[in-house]
Amino acid sequence: MPFSIQVKKLSKTYEYFKKAPGLAGSLKSLFWREKLYNEALKGISFEIEEGELVGFLGPNGAGKTTTLKILSGILYPTSGDAVVLGHAPWRREPAYQKQFSIVMGQKNQLWWDLPAQESFILNREIYEIDPGTYQHNLGELLELFDIKEIIDVPVRKLSMGQRMKCELAAALLHSPKVLFLDEPTIGLDIISQEKIRDYIREYNTIKKTTVLLTSHYMRDIERLCRRVIVINNGTIVYDGSVDDLMHSYADHKVIRLTFSHEYKEDNLGKYGEVVERSGLTVVLKASKKDIARSTATILSELPVEDLSVEEVEIEEVIRKIFNTLTPLKK
Amino acid sequence: MRQWVPEFYRTIRRYLKLYRVFLSQNLKEDMIYRSNFITLVVMDIGFVSISVILFKIIYSHVNTIAGWTFHQSVILIGSVGIIREMAYLTFRRGFLELGSHIRTGTFDIFMVRPIAPNIHLAFRHISLSESLGESIMGIILVGYGISHLDQWSWINVFLYILFLLNSLMIYYGFSLLINSVVFWVIKTQELNTILYFFMETSRYPGDVFRGIGKVIFTFIIPIGIIATVPASILIGRIGWHFAMISLIIGISFLTAGLLVWKKSIEHYSSASG
Repeated sequence: MPFSIQVKKLSKTYEYFKKAPGLAGSLKSLFWREKLYNEALKGISFEIEEGELVGFLGPNGAGKTTTLKILSGILYPTSGDAVVLGHAPWRREPAYQKQFSIVMGQKNQLWWDLPAQESFILNREIYEIDPGTYQHNLGELLELFDIKEIIDVPVRKLSMGQRMKCELAAALLHSPKVLFLDEPTIGLDIISQEKIRDYIREYNTIKKTTVLLTSHYMRDIERLCRRVIVINNGTIVYDGSVDDLMHSYADHKVIRLTFSHEYKEDNLGKYGEVVERSGLTVVLKASKKDIARSTATILSELPVEDLSVEEVEIEEVIRKIFNTLTPLKK
Repeated sequence: MRQWVPEFYRTIRRYLKLYRVFLSQNLKEDMIYRSNFITLVVMDIGFVSISVILFKIIYSHVNTIAGWTFHQSVILIGSVGIIREMAYLTFRRGFLELGSHIRTGTFDIFMVRPIAPNIHLAFRHISLSESLGESIMGIILVGYGISHLDQWSWINVFLYILFLLNSLMIYYGFSLLINSVVFWVIKTQELNTILYFFMETSRYPGDVFRGIGKVIFTFIIPIGIIATVPASILIGRIGWHFAMISLIIGISFLTAGLLVWKKSIEHYSSASG
């Protein structure tokens, strides 16, 4: 299969100026400024095949968004090379721009005071979609995202989940071959998150659109992608299947309990590794395999008032990757 | 040549169509705040009236200011209003919003669409209401001024409109140059205040500036001639050579503005997220 995206030794260094606080600092910085550098990307390389759905995972400031911005032509790279659909993104050729889309969870692209439909019409003109194709694509997207009822309501009156669905629809009207999604589920409630994930996966299956998705939610990646690229401090630390990643690094879950009354005994170790214990609350780490048995035992043996089982946080998975080995490839 | 002409024609047609669609969306947005709309129009008419009254008072003591009679000055004031509305109907508010787009990173959107960022920025913020009252007053004042001129012809009116467009071009080129700075320095609100201040000075005939002042206001900061040239052409008090110079200035500013803007955009560093 041909590659949609090829990235080779891509680097990006941001320049910024150190400024002392206060008015005096501002005045001083007019004449004398110390230049500082922030290496956001340190020569990353990867390739993505046509139709793949790849997750880009990493903590805040890891370089995920910077990569997406370079690939969509928003930023110029400092060095290295990238080719998307045969184009150098930063040349911002309309021929390329008509073939991809970027949706950013934290940036609203729809007109705030107008119904989403009005933004759709604008996109039709901007992307020069012919009327027949537009009607066909619109019908399909309204159906798929279930937004027929809400596209004539002003965007500002929509819930965050509804708005994200409309954002996605607006971005897909011109049938892009490559779709960049930057934190598409950020700030959404659990149910809306699930829905957005379902839509993305379904769209990718039907249309074979190449999707590169960033997130710091493990769940997004787990549910959506077969392949994941983990990035930290501007370097790729893992590139391979999600299953492998989960098996090797996130093999346990977190159990959070609250006791109904004070519990002093020091025997919690047998239920799992104690991470934190303060007053009535305890956080335990237990193996994923026998999580059901552990919780059952805890509930029957301990004076528990409240118990929840949570996924390991991605930060921890990454920390673990770092602790176990130096950067590895698939 | 054969390929270049239809391509050019196609681009113009595409942008005209885009303008129409964007204008209609902007109007819909404007209409949501209708009371605001009416207030703006009324306030504008008030402000223009005040400046006409001021001129009336000054002219009750003198017959001409730098060779301009009262009715000629009325044409000048009217022309400023018309140019300002033309600017608001095209690019002006886009530049006012540019700083905030850059600070919050929403300028990203202008970078990824298959439409030139400067045109997208302009069309995204077309404003009819911002200066509507002033332009209505402007047309009335120019009409009133013309009717009191000793002589005028339709050719002058045609040239007047042509040079209004030239002034708009100068204004646009100048705005592009000034606003390009935003890609290096984040806050441009102050810059636009300066620009607005210069627009204010264009209410007074360019002739009141002498010596070095005239040089600065004509060549370095061209706002001084923005309204003066078309108004002078209408009342027939300007030579061909000066009109030609003004056209050359227009084309130079637009070209320089577009080049600098294009280069500056590469410096866009987005808001990190």
